[in-house]
Formats: sequence, C-alpha cells, structure tokens
Amino acid sequence: MNRFTVGLVSVAAVVSYLIWTGVSETMVYYLTPVELMEKVESDRTFYEVGVKVSGQVLPGTYQRVDGELLHTFVVRDLADESVTFPVEFRDALPDTFTDDAEVVLEGSLRGDGVFEAETLLTKCGSRYEAAPEDLAG
Amino acid sequence: MTILGEYALWIALPISVWGMLLGYVGGRTQRGDYVLSAERSIYAVFFLLVLASLGIVSAFLGDKFEYWYIASYSNREMEFFYKVTGLWAGQRGSLLFWAVILAFFSTLCVFLNRKKNREFMPYVAGVLQTILTFFLVVLLFADVNPFEQLAFTPANGQGLNPQLQNYWMTIHPPTLYLGFTAFTIPFAFAVAALLNGRLDARWIELTRRWILLSWLFLAVGIIFGMRWAYEELGWGGYWFWDPVENASLLPWLTATAFLHSIQIQENRGMLKVWNMSLVLLTFLLTIFATFLTRSGLIESVHSFAQELKIAYIFLSFMGVVLLACILLIIYRLPKLQSENSIQSFLSRESAFLFNNLILLGAAFAVFWGTIFPLVAEGVTGQQVSVGPPFFEKVNFPIGLVLLALAGIGPVIAWRRATKRNLQKNFQIPIMVGCFVAIALWIAGARHGLALVTWSVCAFVLTVIATEFWKGTRARARIEGEGFAVALFHLVTRNRRRWGGYIVHVGIVMIYFAFAGAAYNVDERQHVLPGDQINITSPFGHIYTLTYEGLSVSLGRGQRNLLWQAIATVSVEQDGVAKGILTTEKRQYVTSDQLMTEVGIRSTVREDLYLILSAMDDVDGALSANSSAQGIDLQVLVKPFVLWIWAGGLILALGTVIALWPSVDRRRRSNRPELEAVTTGAPAIAGAAR
Repeated sequence: MNRFTVGLVSVAAVVSYLIWTGVSETMVYYLTPVELMEKVESDRTFYEVGVKVSGQVLPGTYQRVDGELLHTFVVRDLADESVTFPVEFRDALPDTFTDDAEVVLEGSLRGDGVFEAETLLTKCGSRYEAAPEDLAG
Repeated sequence: MTILGEYALWIALPISVWGMLLGYVGGRTQRGDYVLSAERSIYAVFFLLVLASLGIVSAFLGDKFEYWYIASYSNREMEFFYKVTGLWAGQRGSLLFWAVILAFFSTLCVFLNRKKNREFMPYVAGVLQTILTFFLVVLLFADVNPFEQLAFTPANGQGLNPQLQNYWMTIHPPTLYLGFTAFTIPFAFAVAALLNGRLDARWIELTRRWILLSWLFLAVGIIFGMRWAYEELGWGGYWFWDPVENASLLPWLTATAFLHSIQIQENRGMLKVWNMSLVLLTFLLTIFATFLTRSGLIESVHSFAQELKIAYIFLSFMGVVLLACILLIIYRLPKLQSENSIQSFLSRESAFLFNNLILLGAAFAVFWGTIFPLVAEGVTGQQVSVGPPFFEKVNFPIGLVLLALAGIGPVIAWRRATKRNLQKNFQIPIMVGCFVAIALWIAGARHGLALVTWSVCAFVLTVIATEFWKGTRARARIEGEGFAVALFHLVTRNRRRWGGYIVHVGIVMIYFAFAGAAYNVDERQHVLPGDQINITSPFGHIYTLTYEGLSVSLGRGQRNLLWQAIATVSVEQDGVAKGILTTEKRQYVTSDQLMTEVGIRSTVREDLYLILSAMDDVDGALSANSSAQGIDLQVLVKPFVLWIWAGGLILALGTVIALWPSVDRRRRSNRPELEAVTTGAPAIAGAAR
C-alpha cells in the first residue's frame, strides 16, 4: 500500500507538472474583437501576441486574392458592429466558412492593424446543428 | 406509426420506474416474483423503445416535417439510407438511439442470466432500469423530445449537413454509442456487487466480455471518427483534440486502465476499491460523452444557457450516481480490503499499476484541457483557450511511457521480478530498440520524438514476437505439432492472453503511424492547367503532379447538387505514371456551404493527399475556358497513415479473439506447464483461475 501511494503521488506530480507547463506555455487569450482592441490600446506590446478571437465575417468583405493563396475579409464584433478589423488568412478555408460565418481565429494583430490568422475555425463546426425555426419564413 | 412511437415513450417511463423499484426491493427482500417482474419490465421497455425508434424512422421516411427533428435533419431529396440513419444524426434522436441500445443490451443481459447469477440479477435489473428511467426523463422533459411538433408544417426540411452524408459518419456514432452503452452492464454488476456484498472478483468475471465488447466498440468507434475526419473534413488530419473527440477518448482511456487493473484483482485479489472507482468513473464518462458530443456546452459558458435544462438534468444525474456509489464503496470498505500487497517495484503488479496511473493521468490531462476554458472563464471572467499544442505537449511523453509499459507489463514476473527474469525477457528487445534507433539515425531520420517512438515500438514488438515464438516452440515440442498448428493452438487455448498481445501489436502499429506525422510534407501552390508541382517524399522519391484542368458541371442529373467542380491531377512517381487523382468542390442546393472532396492515394509507405483549396473563377470554368481554371492546390504527403487503419483492424481482431468464449477451460488448466515455460514465471495465473 505504501509503494502504491508513492507511485500515485509521483505519477500525479509528473502529470500535474506536464499539465501546468503545458497550460502556461500554450494557453492563449480568447477575446472578442472589442476586448482585443481594448488590450492593444492600453498596452502597445499586445500587438504581435498570439490570441484567439471570435467574431463574425462582415458580409460582402470576403475576397480571395487570385494566385496568391491569400484570403482577406473583415471581422466584426458580435455585439458591437462598429468594431472591426481586416484579416489575412493563408490556408485552405474550411467548408463551413461562408461570407457571414461566425469564426474563431488564432493568430496575432500586426502593428498595421491587420489580423494575421494562422488557423480559422467556424463556430459550431463540430455540431452541425440546424435551426428549423428558420424554415418558418 | 409516429404517434404510436410517442405514446410508447410515455408508457415506457412508468414501467421503467416500476422495474427500478422492484429490482431494488426484490433484491433486498429476496422475493422472486418482484425480481421476475423487474426483469420482465426490461423486456417491455426495450419493446417500447423499439416502437419509438421505428416511429422516428417512419417519420423520416414519410417526410413528416411537422416534427422539429425531421425538419431539422431531413428533406425530401435525401437518400433512403440517410433517412434511416437520421435516427442518430442529431442530439434528440441520438438520445433515443442511446436508450434503445441500452435497452437492447439490458434485455440481452437479463435473458442470458435468467437462470444463473441470481444473487446479482435483482440489483442489476434495478440499476439498468434506473439508467433507462433517466434517459426517458431526459427525452420527455428536457426539451429534447424527438417527437416535438412545430407550430407549422414546413414544405421541406433543412436536410442533413452534406459533411455528415458520408459512410463513416453513419457508422461512427452508433459504434461509439454501442461502446458507451455496453459499459453500463459492468457498471450495473459492480453496483449489484456493492449492494449484495459479494465483493470478490465474481462480478468482474461475469462482465469481462461486456467490458471487452464495450472497449472494442469504443476503440473502433474512435478510429471510424478519425477516418471520417481524414476523408471528409478536408484538412489532412485525423485528430484535432476537439472537445467532442476528447469526450469519446476519455472513457476509452479509463476503460483501458480498468481492463488492466481487473487482471490484478483476479490474479492477486488487490485493487478492489480502485476497480470499483474505475468502473464508476468510466460509466460517468460515457454519460458525460453522450451529453457532450451532441451539445455545444464546451465552446463557452455562454452556450450553456441554451442547453440549461438538459445540462442540469445530466449533471444532477451524474452527481447523484457519483455520490451514491461513493457512499456504497465507503459502506463496503471492510469487504474491499486487498488480499495481498505489492512486494516489489519490479513486478507485474507494479507495471500494471503504473499503466493505470498513467492512463488516468492522460485522461485527467485530456479532461482538464477540455474543460479548462470553462473553468478559467468561471474563475477569472477572462476567456482563454488551450488547443492541440497543449494536448500534444502533455500526451506525447505520457503516451511513450504507456507504449513502453505495453512491452514490459506482459512479461515481467508477478510479485517480484528477479534479475534473471529481467535479463531473459528484456535484454534482446532493448538491444533491438536501440539498434532501430541507430539504424534510423544513420538512414537520415532526425526527428527526436519520432525516433524514440519507433525505437520503443521495436522494443514492444520484439517482446511480443519473442513471447509468441517461445510459446509456439514449447508447444510444438511438447505436443509434437507443426509450428502453424502449434501457434493456432497456443492462441486458441488461452485466447485472453494472446488476444491481448495481438491488441498490443495493433496499438504499436498505430503509434508507429502517429510518429510518421513528424515527416508530413505540406505544399500549396496556385496552378493553371498544365502546371506541374514537384514534391519530394520523406522516403526520397519525387512526385510530379500535373494539373490537367478543372471540369465544372451543373448537377442536373443528381438530386440536391447545384454544381460540382472536379480538378484532375495526374501523378508520376520518379517518372513512372501512377494514375490520376481528383479533388473536387460541390455546392448543394440545400446548404450555403461548399463541400470539398479530397483526393487520396494510399500506399503502405505514405498517403498522397490533394485538396482543392480554392478556385479562381467557377463561372468561367463552366464554359470550359482554360484560363479561368486556375486553382489553389494543397498537396500533402503523409507517411504511414494506412497503418492507423490497419492497426485498428489488428486491434479489433485481438479483442475479438480475447472475448471469444473459450471452448475448453478444463483442458487448459490441466497444462499449467505451458504458461510456466512461456513466461518464466510461476504459473500463478493458472493457479488463481
């Protein structure tokens, strides 16, 4: 029983250590566009820091730059429509992306105010839930 | 038919409650008529739930869009096959489907035990009915009734998301549900053992096959999900540490721990409390996963509000079960004392214990990473996120230790390993492992983690191969059989042990494949018809891909398809033509999302994976204008992916061998010398049986 306890404690310690360092090294802020803008305004060093942002693609702003493997669009805050920023994304868009999709971007805001996204997920991508109330109209 | 189904659900609830009460009371008072009634109530609930499921299926087939569920997941154009499988396409149907499978397993369990194990059955029936009652309450009162009607009848339904209209996606969820629900039977027996006080290894022996069955379905279900993601999601990966994926991985991890730790209880009479806790934990995680996989809870606390009622019902149920079981375990603590203790750090008990602790550690890390955003937001009000890098950082080292233990555990001696035992069993495998690492280094492999993984894979494989070799040789000598016959008899005479080794081989193959991801090649280019892309595979050969053009067609022939754009690419490997690959995008009438179909060429060594990322001008390409056919093409070379699916097959084969009923128990136990010869350990396993 004694050895059992020693084993338990040491494995628990190692796993906790791994989790602790894992979280502290890989954790990123998950912000709304409004929060991101507030952060960079109060603290200039927040530019170029990796963050996760969720917002909505502003309809009609999506453009693909032909031949350059580049997608650009503007993302707005879900609550406050006046807060927007342009986004550049250089990867394949997921199928669930539409030009008014709710997206979750991971990347950083450059000094020139453009958000450079490394990953792009659409919200509810894993749920595939539908809302039949839409059918009423 | 559909109305009948809804009534069936309402009738099932009181019967289920009745059966639950009679089960417990009958067990307590030893009244046979009560127990019989409780058992029959399970048959009745199963019948009624089948009626309810048929009601939903017939509503799908009859295009009854007045039902919320049908309107959400079907439309007139949907194929017959997807209408039938629509039963588990969404949360509401899934919950009903879960309940009907549980009722099926419960019926099977009660029927198989109608004349035996009577000291367990009253409580088993009671526990099973408790869980069925819970699901019926959820279905009827948590705003997820699949029979809920809309205030109006839409002309057509919304249709199933095209990404879900895929073969793997129709078999992946039910396979997982089979795994989740099958685990309820061991849980029911465990609670029955706590209630009736029979706390030796009997409940484990009785449910060993159920545990293996559940584990098999979970493993295969997870692999099906990976396969679906790989083929359908179109980003070249098979695992993304998504909360939904994690939720299905958690019970598998704890069930794996349980499968190993019960062997210690059976052989050495230890870890009784531990096993009770594991069976409880795994059961709760299957419920958690059922809840999570079909809800958006984990994305943020905010989505919690939308599912408040069902979330509260699930969490309260889990809380009540947890509390009740902990109290029961505390009440029975005197009877749950270990009959032995661990004598040495170097022993099979200790290797298994480590395996358990580490599996639980991995499960905790995955759980923590999954709920961390919720916890952090609750505590600090600040939303944060941990993604794949976290899970990889934590789970890679844990996974490697586990893999090594898969080689150590099966051959290290029980009780206390002698120096001789260690030397005999591990000297050659360790040498082989080191040799593989050095050889790969010389061959040019420089990725540290991949090298270590492959080296440990070689170590484990050598251990297992040696075991097979020793066992077969010994049997061939003693029985005078040929090698093939001896091998066959060796495995069939102790399916459990050798089946387990085969499962380990499957796991090694999967690890081997995972490590190949370190050598993925990812190339993106914008190409016009006639353009070529040259890609060097990690194995040194060169792929020359020629983009032949984009053919766009309107979906006149096929229902539901608006248009389809197919990019054709011809593949040459080192100058030798290897045929044509296509990747396409589709637009369906019923969805505003595009659908990407990837092109995959699988070989033993690597997969060539093409993704049509974007098209310059779909309208121009429709008129066969070649200058308008420019596309963004993403090309991935992914080593060893095929080995994941092959490993899954071997794993399934091994599990089936292990759970196949032994025909000849008596004869095997008459030959303990075979066990002794092959492990070099005293035949404790045989004696304890």
